[in-house]
Amino acid sequence: MIDRAALLGAIGRLAAAMEREAPALNEIDGALGDGDLGITMTRGMQAVQQGMAEMPADLGQALLRCAQAFTKTSGSSYGTLFATGLMAVAKAVKGRESFEASEVSGLIAAARDAMQARGKAELGGKTVLDSLDAMAKATAGLSDPAEVACAAREAAREAVEAFRERPATVGRARIFAEKSRTMRDPGMLAMTRIVEAVTGEA
Amino acid sequence: MKKILNTPADYVDEMLDGLVAAYPEFYRLHGDSHRVVARAQAGRAGKVGIVSGGGSGHLPIFTGYVGTGLLDACAIGDVFASPSSEQMADAIRAADQGAGVLRLYGNYGGDVMNFDMAGDLVEFDDIRCTTVLLADDVASAAPEEREKRRGVAGMVYAFKIAGAAAEAGQDLDAVTRVAQKAADAVRSVGAALSSCTVPQAGRPTFDIAEDEMEMGMGIHGEPGVWRNKLRPADAIAGEMMDRLLADMPVGQGDRVSVLVNSLGATPPEELYILYRVVKARLEGAGASIVMPLVGRYATSMEMAGVSFTLLKLDEELEGLLRAPCDCAFWRVG
Repeated sequence: MIDRAALLGAIGRLAAAMEREAPALNEIDGALGDGDLGITMTRGMQAVQQGMAEMPADLGQALLRCAQAFTKTSGSSYGTLFATGLMAVAKAVKGRESFEASEVSGLIAAARDAMQARGKAELGGKTVLDSLDAMAKATAGLSDPAEVACAAREAAREAVEAFRERPATVGRARIFAEKSRTMRDPGMLAMTRIVEAVTGEA
Repeated sequence: MKKILNTPADYVDEMLDGLVAAYPEFYRLHGDSHRVVARAQAGRAGKVGIVSGGGSGHLPIFTGYVGTGLLDACAIGDVFASPSSEQMADAIRAADQGAGVLRLYGNYGGDVMNFDMAGDLVEFDDIRCTTVLLADDVASAAPEEREKRRGVAGMVYAFKIAGAAAEAGQDLDAVTRVAQKAADAVRSVGAALSSCTVPQAGRPTFDIAEDEMEMGMGIHGEPGVWRNKLRPADAIAGEMMDRLLADMPVGQGDRVSVLVNSLGATPPEELYILYRVVKARLEGAGASIVMPLVGRYATSMEMAGVSFTLLKLDEELEGLLRAPCDCAFWRVG
């Protein structure tokens, strides 16, 4: 079961992980983009963490606040997409104080769809959408919390490698399409780090 | 990095403080984010609002064009980085005078995403928004993929034309239509001679040899069409005109405006050397030039280089182009 206490735990782990991973994420992002991915995630999570004490028990309201922390602190595409995904999940669990692990797959899919609409990108384009798609599929039908966590983590890790050899198709990385072959996508890698931290294995 | 600054983190905030301090008759900071600039005196009630926004590092774009007959408000991000959607929403709120707001800006993924999200945020304030994107850089995608092109100096013309229509009391749909018409009639191409340095990155965005130039380079250092030895001014101007006219032919009796723009470090002297060729080519094709602009209108900080922007006019666009406007960087009438 995921409730306010579980959310606060995940926020603490994710904020710490993003701070730790920021230099590595900035560096890999800098090869193709503007090199601010680590800064975006760190700043956003710091803002989320500052609101932890007043985090409501209603998970919809709580996740909306998390999303707003990103829309306030970041103008980077990844920050806005992350906020968009959080808002989609917030909408889906609005008015509830907990949800089950069996619902995670559907919530990830909701985030994926909202982010796809916002980013006007296709699946298969070597973006964070492909990580979410893999995670949604891998967790479908599972209800044991540990199994869900493990499946999501593995799916995110495998997606990064599965798309490694493909050229980038969207954003700034698109103009370096050839160079991007053989490189891991920064946004997909960040999602792997995010899910590792959230599931407590960072 | 050789720049006049205090700390990279304060670069944009201190720049905006100074800009507003220098021209309090034109600009004020709006809201508490420190990243929204609005007109010192808001437009009159019932006027359509026009907002723009994007990364810093391009003055006078975007902030500089807040003024009468131009923009109402602007959201400014870090250097070459999109403002946040909250800041854009604040700019929309500052621009709104009850008649809706046109979002008029360059076609960059992050800006598009954030302005779309900002539109969702101001729905709660009952502000109706429309969007027109500038995608004028002919070197950034082929004609059949025009919607993927980047927006560059063509924004200056779009701000002017939409701003004049709004000032004249046209409604949101009319202002949006004429802004789209201007966006469709404008083409740009750039050439870079040297790089620029984003303060927080601390090193040049790209490397280019002392004796090289790059044709078609974007204003953030996006790769261009070719890179080779620096050519004489007339050859550079000739090729840039070839590229513009191949994309948007100009013929006998056409009326056009043209902007010969420095990307930052290139001095006005060199712009005038280039303008000779621009004028000869346009008039050679039988076109008349209306209100040519030569100077720094859209820059990439200390980048050396130039861009040409061509706007094809009809009676409506010409009337709006000639209408009065006033900001710290540009006055007409």
